[in-house]
Amino acid sequence: MSGLWEVLTEHLPEFSSGFFVTFRLVAVAFVIAIVVGTLVAAFRVAPVRWLNLIGGFYVETFRNIPLLVLLFIAFAGLRRAGVPISPWVAGTASLGLYTAAYIAEALRSGVFAVGKGQVDAALSLGLTYPRTLRLIVLPQAFRTVIPALGSLVIAMIKNSAIVGASLLALPDLLKEARQIQSETFQTTEVFFWAAVGYMILTLSATFAFRYFERRFEIKR
Amino acid sequence: MNREPRWRLIAIAMLVLAALVLAACGDDEEESSDEPAAAAEEFPADTTMAEIQEAGTITIGVKFDVPPFGLNNPQSGEVEGFDVDLGNYIADRLGVEAEFVEANSDNRIPLLVDGSIDLILSTMTITEERDLEIDFSEPYYVANGDVLVPGGSEIAALEDLSGQTVCTALGSTYQETIKAEVPDAQLKLVDRYSECLELIQTDAVDAVSTDNVILTGMVIQDDTLELLDLDFTTEPYGVGIPDGDTEMKEFVDESVAEFIDDGSWQETYDEWVGQYIPEDQIQGPPDITLEEALKLFPL
Amino acid sequence: MYVIDPDNWEWVWSGNSLRFLFEGFLVNLEIALLGIVLSLIFGLMLALLRISGSKLLSIPAGIWVDVWRNLPLIFIILYLALAVPSSWREAYGNAIPDFFPEALQNELVLGALLGLILYNSAVLCEIMRSGILSLDRGQQEAAASLGLTYLQQMRFVILPQGLRRMVPATVSQLITLNKDTTLVSIIAIQEVVRHGSSLTSANFFGGVQAPILQVFIMIGFFFIVVNFLLSRLSRRLEIRERKRTGTTLKRVRGLEDQVAAETDLADPGR
Repeated sequence: MSGLWEVLTEHLPEFSSGFFVTFRLVAVAFVIAIVVGTLVAAFRVAPVRWLNLIGGFYVETFRNIPLLVLLFIAFAGLRRAGVPISPWVAGTASLGLYTAAYIAEALRSGVFAVGKGQVDAALSLGLTYPRTLRLIVLPQAFRTVIPALGSLVIAMIKNSAIVGASLLALPDLLKEARQIQSETFQTTEVFFWAAVGYMILTLSATFAFRYFERRFEIKR
Repeated sequence: MNREPRWRLIAIAMLVLAALVLAACGDDEEESSDEPAAAAEEFPADTTMAEIQEAGTITIGVKFDVPPFGLNNPQSGEVEGFDVDLGNYIADRLGVEAEFVEANSDNRIPLLVDGSIDLILSTMTITEERDLEIDFSEPYYVANGDVLVPGGSEIAALEDLSGQTVCTALGSTYQETIKAEVPDAQLKLVDRYSECLELIQTDAVDAVSTDNVILTGMVIQDDTLELLDLDFTTEPYGVGIPDGDTEMKEFVDESVAEFIDDGSWQETYDEWVGQYIPEDQIQGPPDITLEEALKLFPL
Repeated sequence: MYVIDPDNWEWVWSGNSLRFLFEGFLVNLEIALLGIVLSLIFGLMLALLRISGSKLLSIPAGIWVDVWRNLPLIFIILYLALAVPSSWREAYGNAIPDFFPEALQNELVLGALLGLILYNSAVLCEIMRSGILSLDRGQQEAAASLGLTYLQQMRFVILPQGLRRMVPATVSQLITLNKDTTLVSIIAIQEVVRHGSSLTSANFFGGVQAPILQVFIMIGFFFIVVNFLLSRLSRRLEIRERKRTGTTLKRVRGLEDQVAAETDLADPGR
């Protein structure tokens, strides 16, 4: 039976492979989440009622459904329906779409922080609504939601473990840890190092976002 | 104070209450339909068997999603299968009721070691490594390793798995066997075999590898899948017993021997396995001993 | 189309399938309720430790909370399921009253509950801390000047007000907890996701094929309905609290559902 340190050195390839799979999963999902989230936020604040409803429907669906259930639907369900979606695509898309609902809400609150006055002024200057959004509202909204984004990235890092544990069977950090554990039976040591891996990710994200916050702070 | 929000609070409270009440009522209908045998052997007070008899139930870990050995039947709410029948047989000999809990390849040994379950009857192959943590009974079934592929697949032999995705359960003997035999194969590890079935049915993996009986259970559910009949390993199943409990082991060994001798084994086999496989593959009770079985999977 | 093809939905009204699924869902709700109650108790204890003047208490408590909040919940649950000592399991098995539903009687649930409680008590601790800290300092000073001891101040002035404010946020957390109960399916507890999987593989026994897409859409539907109602409740409570005291609650970092709830209030149009 090897000691704590040996468990890491003996299985370093597996641990790091899992670590990077988790990292890539979160990175890709984050991009999807931002893109879709921004779109949904735009729908929600648009002066067009049916766009609001679509946005609202999206947010309520993806906020209230458990990620695990979403994964079953996105992967197993769709494949059954004939869509040959790969585990990677299903995993990143699910995590991304799920988080997008939260990003959309965070952006909405950021938008309201911008103030109706600015929107009115822009519109009266002859800017179209989409351009107003793009040039005036969204840039400011983004800056105010950086803290919220940071929280959501941390949530995504944690949720990525669910993707790995589901039937998508992606070899992420948790999955690799369980595999090593099933071969060596050294539960505590293996999980300790996996925990370290997750904390490296979450703490890096925390510090990165604190930095961004300071950098992009709006001085009023 | 607003009146309007109140009704929502009340609605939710009622929903929750109703749920709890329903759940409580629902439980009455899920009781095991097994009746304990009238006369059961007496055991010395300090043995596990006596403790179990006092408690009135024996908790056995079985698979819930692997027909024909252990499957949770939604229509009846009961678990059914070969392992379940053997479990009930042992419980009857003790004069208690059997309670079945789901035990996967991944968690069955921890559950036995910490006392959550009394026995493991979960298509568990006897290996020396596992023998370090727990004790095994004499083998009660002998399965063989096999590979399942979609109909029309080009995979015909073990080597063909090279570079292909193969699904098996986390913690099963195949996790290491496949890695050893076909290092180039991409292993997809899942928690339970029903997920492997789902993956192969939707072409998300190229093959599934595990015991032939488990794979047969999958073919029954979907006859477009094919077994390759490779028999590349011999997998004797043993009942999992807490480490060092020699009295319990004796008792279980006796029970297994009787199970075979009085014809119950063959009956159970015919019901759960025999009727689904071709005549020429029907087998009889295992004739391998525990010692021989341990040699098959040395450390 | 596959999704709405009536054949694929036939399982809903044949046999026990829907009931089986719903029974599993009830287990999730029960675990969520039990989890939130116990998490509130421990969360309160942690919060008191964290706001106490003594560094000896508040710093270790702070570290404890940060550790659990930064780990994936499923990681915590899996670890505990494999590593909880048997004596604890037995104690749980004996302690749980008989009138509790059968699914909760299972000793395995302890690992799941512990995981949920460790994680959620840390989160709720932060929520409560934020609630208590958001109180006007004047409240404590006034209470002190009235001659109340620290404990009395806490009990009669600070905690009742601070915790009240946190009710909407707690309900929000209950939504997250509700979703998180599905994670216990990984450790073989018979809740809705497990029942759903069983349904899809049970045509071994004959009967109607229950396709996985439809089954899980139904499960998703169960959750969306319950969580939606809870989120409405949370919003109502928050609006009421706001009207009463005219304060906005400080937002706690790192909580998905808090992020979302905040927006609902900021939106003048809703």
